[in-house]
Amino acid sequence: MARQEYSTPPPMKGGHGRNIGKIHEKPKNTGATLKRLLSVLKGNKKGLALILLFAVLSSASGIFSPLIIGFVINCITTGNAVILFISLLAGIYVSTWLVNFLQSILMAVFSQKITYQIRTSLFETMTGLPLSFFDTKQHGELMSRLTNDVDNISSTIADSLSSLLSSIFTMVGILIVMLRLSVPLTLVALAGTAVIVIFTRIVTNVTRPLFVKQQKDLGALNGQIEETVSAIHIVKSFNRQDQVVSDFEKLNDTLTHTALKAQVKSGFIMPVTMVINNLTFVVISIISADLAVKGLIAIGTISSFLLYIRQFSRPFIEIANVYNNFLTAVAGAERIFGIIDETPEPADKEGALRITAPRGDISFKDVVFGYNPQKPILKGISLDVPAGTKVAVVGPTGAGKTTLINLLTRFYDVDGGSITLDGHDLRDYKMSDLRRAFGVVLQDTVLFAESIKYNISYGHEDRSFEEIRAAAMTAGADSFIEKLPEGYDTLLERGGEELSHGERQLITIARAVLADSPIMILDEATSSVDTLTEQKIQSAMLSVTEGRTSFIIAHRLSTIKDADMIVVMVDGMIAETGTHSELLALDGHYAKMYHAQTGR
Amino acid sequence: MKLIFRYVGKHFGLFITAIIFLIIESVTEIFQPTYMSMIVDEGVTRADSSAIAHYGIIMLIIAGIDAGAAIVRSIFSARLGQMVAKDLRRDVYKKTQSLSLENIERISTASIITRITNDVTQVQDFVQGVTRIIFRAPIITVSAIVMIILRTPWLVPTMIIVIAISAFLIFLNLKIGYPKFAFLQKRTDRLNHVSREYLTSVRVVKAFNASETEHGRFNAASASLRDAGISAMRTMALFGPLINLTVNLSIVVLLWLAHSQDASQIGRVMASINYLTQIMMSLSMISMIFNRAVRAFASSERIGEILTEEPALKSPDTPLKPDIKGEVVFKNVSFSYPGAEMRTLTDISFSALPGQTIGIIGPTGSGKSTLVNLIPRFYDADSGGVFIDGVKVTQLDEHSLRSAVSTAAQRAVLFTGTIRENLMWGNPLATPEEIDSALRISCADEIVDRVENGLDTLLGQGGVNLSGGQKQRVSLARSLLKDPKILILDDCTSALDATTEAKVLRSLREYSGDITVLLISQRISTVRKADRILCIDEGRVQGFDTHDELMKTCDCYKAIYRSQIGN
Repeated sequence: MARQEYSTPPPMKGGHGRNIGKIHEKPKNTGATLKRLLSVLKGNKKGLALILLFAVLSSASGIFSPLIIGFVINCITTGNAVILFISLLAGIYVSTWLVNFLQSILMAVFSQKITYQIRTSLFETMTGLPLSFFDTKQHGELMSRLTNDVDNISSTIADSLSSLLSSIFTMVGILIVMLRLSVPLTLVALAGTAVIVIFTRIVTNVTRPLFVKQQKDLGALNGQIEETVSAIHIVKSFNRQDQVVSDFEKLNDTLTHTALKAQVKSGFIMPVTMVINNLTFVVISIISADLAVKGLIAIGTISSFLLYIRQFSRPFIEIANVYNNFLTAVAGAERIFGIIDETPEPADKEGALRITAPRGDISFKDVVFGYNPQKPILKGISLDVPAGTKVAVVGPTGAGKTTLINLLTRFYDVDGGSITLDGHDLRDYKMSDLRRAFGVVLQDTVLFAESIKYNISYGHEDRSFEEIRAAAMTAGADSFIEKLPEGYDTLLERGGEELSHGERQLITIARAVLADSPIMILDEATSSVDTLTEQKIQSAMLSVTEGRTSFIIAHRLSTIKDADMIVVMVDGMIAETGTHSELLALDGHYAKMYHAQTGR
Repeated sequence: MKLIFRYVGKHFGLFITAIIFLIIESVTEIFQPTYMSMIVDEGVTRADSSAIAHYGIIMLIIAGIDAGAAIVRSIFSARLGQMVAKDLRRDVYKKTQSLSLENIERISTASIITRITNDVTQVQDFVQGVTRIIFRAPIITVSAIVMIILRTPWLVPTMIIVIAISAFLIFLNLKIGYPKFAFLQKRTDRLNHVSREYLTSVRVVKAFNASETEHGRFNAASASLRDAGISAMRTMALFGPLINLTVNLSIVVLLWLAHSQDASQIGRVMASINYLTQIMMSLSMISMIFNRAVRAFASSERIGEILTEEPALKSPDTPLKPDIKGEVVFKNVSFSYPGAEMRTLTDISFSALPGQTIGIIGPTGSGKSTLVNLIPRFYDADSGGVFIDGVKVTQLDEHSLRSAVSTAAQRAVLFTGTIRENLMWGNPLATPEEIDSALRISCADEIVDRVENGLDTLLGQGGVNLSGGQKQRVSLARSLLKDPKILILDDCTSALDATTEAKVLRSLREYSGDITVLLISQRISTVRKADRILCIDEGRVQGFDTHDELMKTCDCYKAIYRSQIGN
């Protein structure tokens, strides 16, 4: 018998990496995942309907052509004219071609569109997730979900779905024709098929967990690659190349081992299916010969039937073929749904408050918070900041200064107590309004691999070039930008790595200046800028922050001397508050820090 | 293509075994329709059950051998594909580790990841597919053609036309498909790049309410990947059905020609139809494997690009491995970043003796970090030279050079893993005492004491669960564990509060002994106690002397001093 074995080895694509936080290793529920996957397809009913239609048409030709070949052969044996049937056959073949062609094109567009939709909505879900989610995942692993896992689904849709659909139609169609040709022969054929189905099930029960593990192993590998390649300078400076390569090899070996096991086991399905099919063929031949002797069946009918048997087994082989791919895709889909099911940042409350221009009264009341609730970082912070106050937050590293900022911008929500802005709890405001109210310069100087102009106007794409330039001037960034070969249009191809740390800070400050928010937060904004530049920025920022509430975290105490209020944090609590001179007079933590720095 | 051959060649035994069983499989497969037609011709048409049983048993035996061979072949070809993939991944990764920063920045991290994972998978799919199909399909096609010629010789001209048309179609498919798949992989790179950038800047995106912007960026990358995919798959959609049509039409021709033949040839005609069906399947397999081949070639070229990439920094032919004492001398060093028009460093000269601490101070962007990056050869000077103990760094063995030099940078990069694992980067054999002392010097002991599981606390990628100052201290401890001769502190205490910083600097001074310390800072207070201070501005040396002398002679230094301490 001919063999239709052009299966793809189950694609080995992306996966689950090493999670530090939650681990989604729930027992896999293939059925439920499949249902959800199909519900994604539902949104594309028109495309799906067309593809189904084409699948029916293309199966129809598979069903009718053997029948017509049988007629032709009958005609030849009986010496009748064949021209009619032959032209009919030619017509069927040509239309089959047309249908197959259209179906493939449609399928390509359809599956790519679906992939695009899943990918896009997955990314949009991701952008809605809280920081705690990102803080516990390796970048490589998440990237792998966005590209490899989603691709996996699409390749399955493309490779499997169409063949699955046409297989089912072919199967049903052929079954009907076979039943009309001969009921007993059909029953024999069905018995053979049943054996194949049972066997396939047994094997896939063994291989399915292996495919899931394969995806997981690959995810771990991706995570390792991303991390070590993106920090290659560290790897090199510690001469760790050999070590990371051996880490890599371990993961690589595990992956190879799992994948091999999965493939070898699933490699049994096809040959065994073939043997059973051949057996069925022989049995049917014997029975049909017997029937022919009794004159119950015509030779042409037998030859048609035998051709049908081959066609009948084909869909089963094809289903067996795509089944493994299907399982890997389901494993991929599970990982994707895992992200979609993550708890997003809390949604805005019903009737959330809008703010366009807050006054800027901020008040902390007994705020308790810890990234791990068992280990609070902030242990009861209470602080009233009247609108327009310039607050400096100082204290040893790890005292919770940045954490305080994380709560203000609602990167995280308080565990206990509350923070209010203009008298309302932060959680009562619309999230986007709230974040717009804060202009933030973060410790991390993250720039995008785009132009400098793009980076400064990030989040405010509507601003004119003049405004961008003015912001850069305020931030003291204009002078170095103008020196670059293409000025503001200079492309930061290496994501800002080509600039010095201080220059990157200046760009992020310009970004915050442009945002022109009512409340400013500067978290170590000028730690890498030389003091001369810093003074310039300071005076500029002073005019910008004039009359606005602002929070400044700084280690260089010289820069915050003229703050309206200095808050000294020690170990998650406020130790001292007051002005520079008040705190010096107090002769506590602040005074000690100040003297240490000025060396007096 | 050559690359694929080379890697398959490494597992020649597997390959040959797979091919041998593939041949057995194909040959047995060829005989099956013969017996099938015998069953029909001599059994069914004559209603001879014993003939059916006779030929049936032979056919089943052949089918059994066929299945056995198929199982063995599938085991070997799976192994071959996996081994090739494993080797490729390992070699590309290893090669990546040997490349210099310049290479990696040029290729981009996102693209490297795509190549090691996605592109290798394409090649693997192909290799596995090849041993399943590409040899068998021609064998089946050729023998099926022979069988057809033996049975129905009048079909020869038709066969020749069918083969010619199919070959042409496959060739055309290859030609049109290749650039499309190459483009598809590039679009995958871009998508990886955008998502990676989002992941590293997630805080900024949230703070600036820029989710919409990111959606836009991602959607654009995603849409262009979609379009590239559609375009590549369209090519496949065009050619597969065309080949099927060609073979199907030859069945029509066969039947047309058959009707003028002797009616006794029916069995043969049926067998020929069977063989034609087989040819059709083989051809569509071939066209399919060629499609995969096109994709695999595009991928293997991308993998090959990395494997043949020349490290931008050349290793010396006979690297020197002296016992490094730690004297660092810069002689007229000038440097500009690849592709940059402006010079970052111009004519820098200074020297540091073992046991000395040299402070380096200067405005933002003056070239301080660039300068120290030349010492462990992250980059090489364009002119002039950096010397250690009188030997140019480019002459030194890279490994010995980098084990003598340790850098603690401002941006502390930590890895997923425990704090202990991160520290062991400095010295995989570090004893608990050594770890303790490194932690003490960098004042990181209190961090370890405070976190839940001490040294075994898990850190997220980049050490996200530590504060900026904590990360800096852990990474400083890691640098100290290396027990370097030359210690570069690149503003690595910038996120520390003054008290802690003073404490760290004090213990560093006690620790440093006879090692050379290069201390970069923005703060006069940090560098003033250094033996000598190098003041640079716009990549040029402005002064190199002690604090007191610089206060007299160096305007640049004086200006910085005034800005920080006042008059």
